[in-house]
Formats: sequence, C-alpha cells, structure tokens
Amino acid sequence: MTPSQRKKAISLAKSLLPEDEFEHLMKIDFKDQGLGYDKFGMEKEMIVASLAVVRYVYLYYFRVESEGVHNIPEEGRGLIVPNHSGVIPIDGMMIGVDLAFNMRRPRIIRAMVDNFMGFLPFINVFFARCGQLVGARRNFADLLEADELITVFPEGAKGTGKLYKQRYNLLRFNVGFIELSLQYRAPIIPAAVIGAEEQAPMVYNVKPLARMLGFPYFPVTPFFPLLGPLGGLPMPVKYHLYYGEPMHLYEDYGPEAINDPNTIRMLADRVQMRVQEMVNKGLDERTSVFGFLEA
Amino acid sequence: MPHRSDKFNILITGVTTSIGRHLAQHLVENSKVGVVLGVSRQEKPYYFNDLPPDKFIYRTCDILKHRELSNLFLSRTFREAKINTVVHLAFKRKVTPSAYGHKINIQGTKALLEKCLEDGGIQKFIFKSSDVVYSIKPHNPVYLDETADLNFSPYTDQWVKDRVDADMICRSFMDNKSMNIVVLRMTNIIGRNLKNQLNAYFESKPIVKTMGFNPMINLLHMRDVIQAITLAIEKKSAKGIYNIAGADTAPISTFAELTGSPMISVPEPLLPTVNWVQRKLGLTDYYYSVDKDRQKFTSLLDDSKARRELGYKPQGRVEL
Repeated sequence: MTPSQRKKAISLAKSLLPEDEFEHLMKIDFKDQGLGYDKFGMEKEMIVASLAVVRYVYLYYFRVESEGVHNIPEEGRGLIVPNHSGVIPIDGMMIGVDLAFNMRRPRIIRAMVDNFMGFLPFINVFFARCGQLVGARRNFADLLEADELITVFPEGAKGTGKLYKQRYNLLRFNVGFIELSLQYRAPIIPAAVIGAEEQAPMVYNVKPLARMLGFPYFPVTPFFPLLGPLGGLPMPVKYHLYYGEPMHLYEDYGPEAINDPNTIRMLADRVQMRVQEMVNKGLDERTSVFGFLEA
Repeated sequence: MPHRSDKFNILITGVTTSIGRHLAQHLVENSKVGVVLGVSRQEKPYYFNDLPPDKFIYRTCDILKHRELSNLFLSRTFREAKINTVVHLAFKRKVTPSAYGHKINIQGTKALLEKCLEDGGIQKFIFKSSDVVYSIKPHNPVYLDETADLNFSPYTDQWVKDRVDADMICRSFMDNKSMNIVVLRMTNIIGRNLKNQLNAYFESKPIVKTMGFNPMINLLHMRDVIQAITLAIEKKSAKGIYNIAGADTAPISTFAELTGSPMISVPEPLLPTVNWVQRKLGLTDYYYSVDKDRQKFTSLLDDSKARRELGYKPQGRVEL
C-alpha cells in the first residue's frame, strides 16, 4: 500500500473498532524489514484493517465464543492444530480474529493456504499481506525459525471438502506437522472448531468438474449452485472455539524421530485423537447449531 | 615484477561491465590483492586510466576466440602476474536475442573454465550467476535456497536458458579438485548506469505491472555485489553455489513508487502487446517475456549459506 492508503487503512480500523480494541490491535508484534513489510510480505496496516472488518463477521454473523486462549503461548513458536471444515475455509480466519482480540498480547496467526491460491489474482496479494503463505514445507520451517505461531490443518483441503454426513469425523491427519514440531521444538496446541462443519452442508462433490477447474472439490449444497453465488455464502452457524493444553512432543521425541515413519504416524494419530476428543466434548456441550436462542 | 603469489592475483573477464568496473576499482585498493588483470573485448576505456598501473593491467581479449584466449593465458603479463583467481563477468546482459549473446554466455564460460583448469595455477574460479536460473512457480516457498529447482522449461526465453546452462556448466566442473568453483547467484542488482532487466523495468514510462499480482522482490546494491565477490575471493573455503540477496525486500509496487514514475496495472493477456508497444515507442528496454512469472510470483533468495560460510552481510540500501 502507498503511505496514503496505509493512513486510510488505519483510519478505517479506528472508525470500526472501540478505542481499547484498536489500541490492543496496534500492539501486534510486527517485524518490519524497513519498507513496511515483514520478510514474508505481511503488512501491518492491511492486517489491522482486515481484522477490524472481519471482527463484525466474528461478532455478529458467527457469534464466536472461545475457551482456552490462555493455552496459546504469548511468545515463541507454536503450531495450532484444529479440525478443518466448512467448504469455504473460514475456520482459520475465525481463529486468527479470536486470538488477535482475545490474547493479552495480540499475535498474528499464520496459516498456510492451498497452492492454487497462488494463481488467483488479487486474492494471492491479499493473503500475502495478511501473513498467509502457500503451504510449502520450506515456508513452515521459515515461519517456525522466525518464532511465529502457525495454524496447521493436517486434514488438508480434503477436510474442507467433507460431506455433511462425515461432519466432525476427522480425516486421517497428514504427518508433516509432527516432523516440523519435533525438528523445530514447537509445541502443538490442539484446537476444536464447532459450528464450521454445518455452515455449508455439502451433500455431493462433483469430482469431474472439480478436476476440470483445478479445484480440490466442487460442492453441491442445499443452496449452491441452486442460488448462484449467493448460495455459496456460509450459513450463520454459531462458532465455538476450544484451545487445548500445549503438547510438547519434542520433549519425549528428539529430532531423530522424524526418520522413523511409525513414530511420526503414531504421534500424528495421538494429536488427531486429542482434537477429536475436544470436538466430541464441544459437540456435547453445544445446545444448538445456530445458537440464536442462546444467551 | 615482484613475486605476488601470496596475494590474490585476479583476472576479471568482462571488466568493462558495470560490476567489473566497480570490482576492479575496489580490488586495487585491497591490500590482500596483488594484481588485477582486467580483460574485455573493447579497447581500454578512459575510466581505467586513474587506476595504479602496478596494480591494474588491462588487456583486450575476446574469450570466444580460442587463439586470443590461449595467448592471454600464455602471455608474459599473465605469467608474471601469477594469476590465481578468475572472476568471470563476461556475460551478455541485454535480453535482445543474438547469436553472439548465446555464444559468449555458454561457449565463453566453458572455454574460460577449460583454460583455467589447463593452466594449473588458477585456484579459484568465481562465476556471477543470477536468480533467473530458478524455476518460479506459484507454490514455491517465499525463500529459495541453493537446492531449489532450476528453470529447465522449454518455453523459457533463450536468455534465461543461457543463464541456466552457464550455471550448469560451472556446476559440472565443480568436482575438480585443483580449482574451487564458486557460483554466486545474485538477486536483482539495482543502481544507476546498470543495464539489466529490473533497472530497465523501473526506468519504463510508465511502469506496467501485472494486474492482481504484486510479488515481493529483493534488490541488491552494487556495494553488496562487490562485497560478495570480494568475500568469495578472500575466503579460502569458498566453494560451490551461494545465493546473494540484498537488504531491501518489498513488493514490486513499493519500489516502483520510490522511483516516482507512474505505474499502471494491466491484465496479463494484454501485457505482451503493451510491452511490445512500449519498446517500439522507446518507452522501455524491458522484455516482459523474460520475466512474466517473476512479475506474478514471489521468489526471494535465501542467502543464509553465504552469510554463514562467507560472512556476507548486505549493507547497501536502495536509492531509486
């Protein structure tokens, strides 16, 4: 952004946020390389303005509630590992907003986006300025080296493309995040997102069309493609976010364990079971999907 | 001439290039350097007249001509100077297609390498390569290290193919025990009077950007180019490939703004035509076809190996 655009972005954020929340957000730790961007292309003004806008979606559309924010490390590296769902991956964004506003020291959560995002004009720039990078292994390693907090979705893009009947049944986790956790001694914070799996109930995946368009899936929901682009909007389900206690797997398994596929698989399964437990508990505690009648 | 084998006696090919000129001027002031033998196809330019004649010698030589190259290596000047280090900068930087460009880039590099090995006295061969050798893809990580994929695409511009081939030629000689080969893959060098793609891009009127994309780029100051080559000369252990990046990293639009020139965004399908029209009207020397992926996707160089092994630390800041 140009200096004048940056000023406008900050004024926008100021006008949208209560004063204390604006001040809180401006405390975000940002490592400027000298020209207003961090070494990965993130821009503070873009982050602050985007968070200020998305906060309205967070507060009034999905009415997000969260528990366990104290489990997120205030400094240093870490991997937040939640379930992934919702056709349109909004779950990561809600976690990002939640932690930016609710942590004592606000932190920007990095998430890895699918490779095809890199092709998309405008969207690729927006993601990069908001600190979200393409999911290359090297990017993960660089972010951990830089002591960043990363949201990892080990279910991958398949997670967001789950059918409605598979909701809240976690797909088998990929193991890459365990390797990174052990190699870089990063704690894993298991997390559960309740609500997202019902926001766009996918009843069918048109695989040939998805392949043709280069998408990971092509969803058919009760509203899409029937109502056109409008049908693609997620339903206003209520989100509940749960952050579990950090798992310091690297204390028991050194970096040499990454050469043992069985150990890595076992540890990935262990994290998956922990996340599944949290998801099941969250579902038990939930009284309604939309939660309009909740206090 | 005094015995100078304990010092670095350096042959610089392409000494009349901007880098060559700056390097020669820097090296003659370096106490660890004995003699600098500058070589180019041109007659000696006036700006070398100021350099001390006991430290800087200029010779005209076309490295593509076998006899001229042999004569250079057999010459009394070369022998007496006890050349032990070669810095190869003779490379065609202009992107315009030409048979000579292809020859100098490929055959010139190979002939010089073979001659250096034949000579037996050359201990180090330093080749200035470039980041254009890397394959740029949307799913690349932000930072590319020396092991990243190279651009072997058949659809790549010939100029890029030449750079990749020259880099590969140097790699193919790296197993040789008698001479250390150092390849310095440098990012975009920026500065006045430099004729390269990025300088041409920022000198365009107006600067034309791919709509919907704004990749991060890194700019390298001439001071850091000289620093990297000097370290490669001085560090005995220097061997292999090193990425060299600069101190300034930002999106392409930020640097364009710093130039003060107007910038417009054009949809990708129209860019080849717009670039052709700009060139025909004399509004740019930039060739979009060479850089089309770099206009869209971020690919910064990870220079941690050079920092670790050479002690390289970028210092020059960009003044556009």
